Amino acid sequence: MRKSALVGWLLLAPSLLLLGGLVVFPVLYNVWLSLFDKHAFMPVQAFVGLGHYRYFATDPEFWTSFYYGSVYAGVTMVLQLGVGVPAALLLNEAFRGRNLLRGFVLFPYMIPTIVAVILWKWLLNDSYGLVNHLLRQAGLVRTPVAWLGPDHIMTALIVTSVWQFFPFVVVTYLARLQTIAPELYEAATVDGASTWRRFLHVTLPQTASVLFVIVLLRSIWMFTKFDTVWLLAGEGGVSRYIRTLPVYAYSRSFTYLQAGMGAALAVIMFAMLLVATAVYFRLFRTEEVFA
Amino acid sequence: MRRVSLYGAGLVLLVGAAFPLFWMLSTALKPSGEIFATPRLVPLHPTLENFQRLFADTSFLVFFRNSVMVAGATVLLTLAVSSLGAYSLTRYRFRGRDAVAGLILLTYMFAPIMIIIPFYILVKQLGIVNTHLALVLSYTTFCLPFCLWVLRAFFQSIPLELEEAALVDGAGRGRTVWHVVLPLALPGLIAAAIFTFILAWNDFLFALVLITSEELKTLPVGVNDLFNATIVDWGMIMAAGVMITVPTVCFFAAVQRYLVQGWGSGGVKG
Repeated sequence: MRKSALVGWLLLAPSLLLLGGLVVFPVLYNVWLSLFDKHAFMPVQAFVGLGHYRYFATDPEFWTSFYYGSVYAGVTMVLQLGVGVPAALLLNEAFRGRNLLRGFVLFPYMIPTIVAVILWKWLLNDSYGLVNHLLRQAGLVRTPVAWLGPDHIMTALIVTSVWQFFPFVVVTYLARLQTIAPELYEAATVDGASTWRRFLHVTLPQTASVLFVIVLLRSIWMFTKFDTVWLLAGEGGVSRYIRTLPVYAYSRSFTYLQAGMGAALAVIMFAMLLVATAVYFRLFRTEEVFA
Repeated sequence: MRRVSLYGAGLVLLVGAAFPLFWMLSTALKPSGEIFATPRLVPLHPTLENFQRLFADTSFLVFFRNSVMVAGATVLLTLAVSSLGAYSLTRYRFRGRDAVAGLILLTYMFAPIMIIIPFYILVKQLGIVNTHLALVLSYTTFCLPFCLWVLRAFFQSIPLELEEAALVDGAGRGRTVWHVVLPLALPGLIAAAIFTFILAWNDFLFALVLITSEELKTLPVGVNDLFNATIVDWGMIMAAGVMITVPTVCFFAAVQRYLVQGWGSGGVKG
């Protein structure tokens, strides 16, 4: 090995050691662990093969968690796009105070999840919350809505999550919007295209690839989101109305202390994402639907 | 007309994004009588009593100090490790270099919840469960892929001639990197530092699983405990929210320009 190659590897070694030891190894160990009945703290373990996977196939808790998780990921992803893309289009226009507004829009994304959650719990509080106060003032409801009760907890979770994560869509979409060549718009304007048609025939095709990435990343990250969901309802009470797969995996491992089962859930989640991603690529990447 | 609708939409966006935070600050400054009365936008009699209660009656300051130490150590370690790695990926030629860079990006795809169980068992076997070291190592690892890629992009943009000139002038490799390369990559270093700080400052899952002692807890878990402890003291909880948010906002406001640049080049996970 030449000297410079050796130095190259040496400089890279700390990174590789950390990533190998604390990401790659745990991922592989996780697969191995999912084949065992293992207590989260005690060293005892017994080989059960695919037993956990068979168990989950008929486990109603698993399927409701999968259902809630998919609804949560799907709805929040669509709403984040619905809020984020128009916001990015707005922030791409020239007006006074634009840079300041760009900064403010990022706030929800920068603050810790615990802050976003307590903040929305306070806004949505049934007795003293601002939201119920405003709804009553406007005459929309007569009695306060129990936003954090079983009937509306999913709505509360979705509102909190969309508020917290839409800035990612804004920043990513805006970054691409800024690189669209102005000539394209000029040509469209000369051709007499309206604002809407310019968006449809210039902006959308130009940003199709970034939208592809945003949808993919946001779906994956919302499907694997743990802290927002867990912090909003914890493990008791209404939590079962919003329990998603990450929360179920956490409960199995650290509440019921069934580490093997938790590991199997992690593998299942990963497999689901892999399949969904492959399907997504086949459906959209090859056909270039927006182009 | 167009002006008006632009400003109108801008106002809606501003209120939507920032109003909840304003409401948090407003509540934190209200005496308890006002908190439970008909909501007012601005406190009638602003007070710091919620903050005083938070500092005097709870372990908040301990959590705060823990968070500062953990986030600070994570930023330093991450910058050191990823600078070395990114320098290697851009300045040394060796077989498999680009494959390694690709694999590093791949590790970015694993959400913490999908590896937290084996991670916990591993940390336990290493004997560092319930230590800040475990938190620093996990945050550093999770920030590495992003930081390596951002710094790699910045290092690639620095002309080799500048380094060669310094080397010819008799500066060693180390001094050249320190005095020529790192200053030129400053925007990238700042973007990486902010990303790392925010991840370490905000994390809930690792702190929840890896730390059990009260006196070692960081802010997100500590504040969640305060929230769940008794009947919720909303004024005090909002004061805690303000205190956790302030460092992020300051940090961010100071260097926002660089951050947006860094985001453009790499994307942020969350």
